[in-house]
Amino acid sequence: MRKLTITSMIFIVLVFGFSLGYATELAVWSSPDNADALFELAQNFMQAHPEIQIEVTPLSWEVLYPRILQDITAGVGAFDVTTWDLMTAGAIAPGMLDLEAFAQEHPDLVDPDFDDDDFIPTARYIYGYWGDKRIGQPFYGAAMFFFYRQDLFQDKALQEKFQAQYGRELRVPETWQEAKEVAQFFTKKFNPDSPTEYGIGLMFPRTHTLFYMFLNFFGPYRRSPEGIEKFGEVDLDWGDLFTADHQPAFNSEEGVKAIQDMIDLLPYSSDPLGSDYGETLEAFSKGMVAMVPQWTACMASWQESPDLQPFEEKVGIAIMPGKAPVSGGWGVGINAFSKNQEAAFQFIQYATSKEGDKIQWLKYRVGPTRKSVIEDPEVIADAPWLKDVYLPSLEGASHRPRIPEEPRVEDVLVGTISEILLGQAPNSIETLNLVAEEWKKVLSK
Amino acid sequence: MMNSKKRKRTGFLLILPLLILFLGLTIYPLIYMIYMSFHQYSLASWEEPRFIGWENYREILRDRTASSSVSFTLFLLFTAVPLEILLGIGIAFLIRDVWGERALRSSLIIPMTIPPVVAGIAWKMLYNYEFGPINYFLSLFGLPKVSWLGSQFFARLGVLLIDVWQWTPFIFLVIYAGLQSIPRDVVEASLVDGASGWSAMRYIELPLLRPLIWVTLIIRVIDVLKLFDIVYMVTFGGPGSATHSYSFYIYKVGISFGWDVGYASALSVILLLVVTVLTNLLIRFLRLSETLGL
Repeated sequence: MRKLTITSMIFIVLVFGFSLGYATELAVWSSPDNADALFELAQNFMQAHPEIQIEVTPLSWEVLYPRILQDITAGVGAFDVTTWDLMTAGAIAPGMLDLEAFAQEHPDLVDPDFDDDDFIPTARYIYGYWGDKRIGQPFYGAAMFFFYRQDLFQDKALQEKFQAQYGRELRVPETWQEAKEVAQFFTKKFNPDSPTEYGIGLMFPRTHTLFYMFLNFFGPYRRSPEGIEKFGEVDLDWGDLFTADHQPAFNSEEGVKAIQDMIDLLPYSSDPLGSDYGETLEAFSKGMVAMVPQWTACMASWQESPDLQPFEEKVGIAIMPGKAPVSGGWGVGINAFSKNQEAAFQFIQYATSKEGDKIQWLKYRVGPTRKSVIEDPEVIADAPWLKDVYLPSLEGASHRPRIPEEPRVEDVLVGTISEILLGQAPNSIETLNLVAEEWKKVLSK
Repeated sequence: MMNSKKRKRTGFLLILPLLILFLGLTIYPLIYMIYMSFHQYSLASWEEPRFIGWENYREILRDRTASSSVSFTLFLLFTAVPLEILLGIGIAFLIRDVWGERALRSSLIIPMTIPPVVAGIAWKMLYNYEFGPINYFLSLFGLPKVSWLGSQFFARLGVLLIDVWQWTPFIFLVIYAGLQSIPRDVVEASLVDGASGWSAMRYIELPLLRPLIWVTLIIRVIDVLKLFDIVYMVTFGGPGSATHSYSFYIYKVGISFGWDVGYASALSVILLLVVTVLTNLLIRFLRLSETLGL
């Protein structure tokens, strides 16, 4: 009995002592693609701030957004810090801490070297603001890129054959029109001598993937001088699918053309309607596909692929045809109901500092959001394309709506585009008008 | 007299925790769901719930995705359930008294024991267009690859196959257990009287199994109306709206769309009504209350 009492007391002292040793415990929620980087940044931060304990919890994309929304609406404060997808900005904004107001109230916590102007302007807004409210710091910069088999594009015999067949030189496509010819050339069904089975890896499943893929095709029309004249400048909160005065823009000749570009490419892709991220990643990884629009997160897997070695010689990265790739990416912000806002502020300040931004790119391929990191000699040596491809892609990107109704309007458009691609609905302005009407109904609620 | 009162009070106190749990976890959410179904309330809009009368219900009638999800759910109801029942009964009779019956019995129920989410991941790999084993085996017979997840017909067939694969074992297990409980002497007496094996099955065993068959039918009907996990894991409702099940659509509205609590509640109330009415109709139509002594 005595032994038991002593053991229990030691246990209690240890547990309490341990918890008293750390004044603050931060709960950090993260999407899986940000989690590894955040984990290392948290370790670094805890070394400098031993009084703060950080626990990073990865939550899948499908789970994270509803959980954030649930928590901030109920005002629970189950998390202190979270990464948030740029599309969810409008929905979560009321429950996130205004970082600019907080910094003004706590000037002693602001790192004098933080350098807010160092962020790429587009990134600073889309991963940082909703309207005038600063709801986060830019964490994961992303736009879709056009990955291609560099070795095939540089192959002399293939270049000559392409020249003979299409009357122009073989080059990485700069428009979707060019992409159709190149994709056809690299598809075995249409060119038995093609070294790859398919010309392009497309992912058009009935998920949010189709929504952002559509923007890769609609963006070039929307952002052309004619598009700007017709629809007005893009409002970064409402995105490229809306006009400047917040009316749907896709129910137009440009929307039909964009979908037609998608339809035209279907024969050169492997099962586009049944493929998503994993399938296209795998097909390119196995050397079956010559070109694929994808996110940078794929690179880590491709760099290990035996069929793509040596990686630097075999894989090239270009700006998406049409030069208006869809943006992605994440901000990191603080729960307005967090009880540890000061510690949380210090942590996200470190995580998005120049040092943090560099670490997350070099070790975890989390896209940088700071100009100084893209110009850093070590980063340039590691990925020279960041300056020529990444930066212009992010700056010229087309954007999804960030309004609270985004998931609902997304589903309506995705359902219809999927039906058009299946051939169940005609690709016409009338079809898209029905979607626009649905959107207006959702927005008017 | 006092004893009886005391016993009643003790009995009430004993069931009180369960009663509180039942009221808190079932009755309150049910009433709240019905209440919210008459409100406009979405967590993403950050507005207080607003009473809108029957508007959510009227919206369901106009909602194209809701109607296509009803159509797919009905498709499953009229294909998967009969197939599962026929196959389940057939297998239960066929494996009786065959060599290796025990091993067969154990292996046949494996699909039912796999969590639907895991089964969904496995089937998604099996259906993979380029690297999936199903298309590989088809190619061995000179057949072209099938876009299992990219064509409306095959995506629906794909979900149907998974449901049949996973839940036929349940029917089999119940019917097989029922068969074991039928007294052998009844069947043997009929055989002695000159009945064939088929006649014994048709006129003795099947009628005795009828209550079990009806019960499994009701359970499967309710399950199919609630089908969510396989759709979520394998097709995500696509392509188009081909495989949107009704429950999957409720999930999308209620959670994916940013907690549209009002509309999702209305959709859920409809599902609840359909399940309740259908189950009661089945019980009445099949005279289950008499057969089961309810």
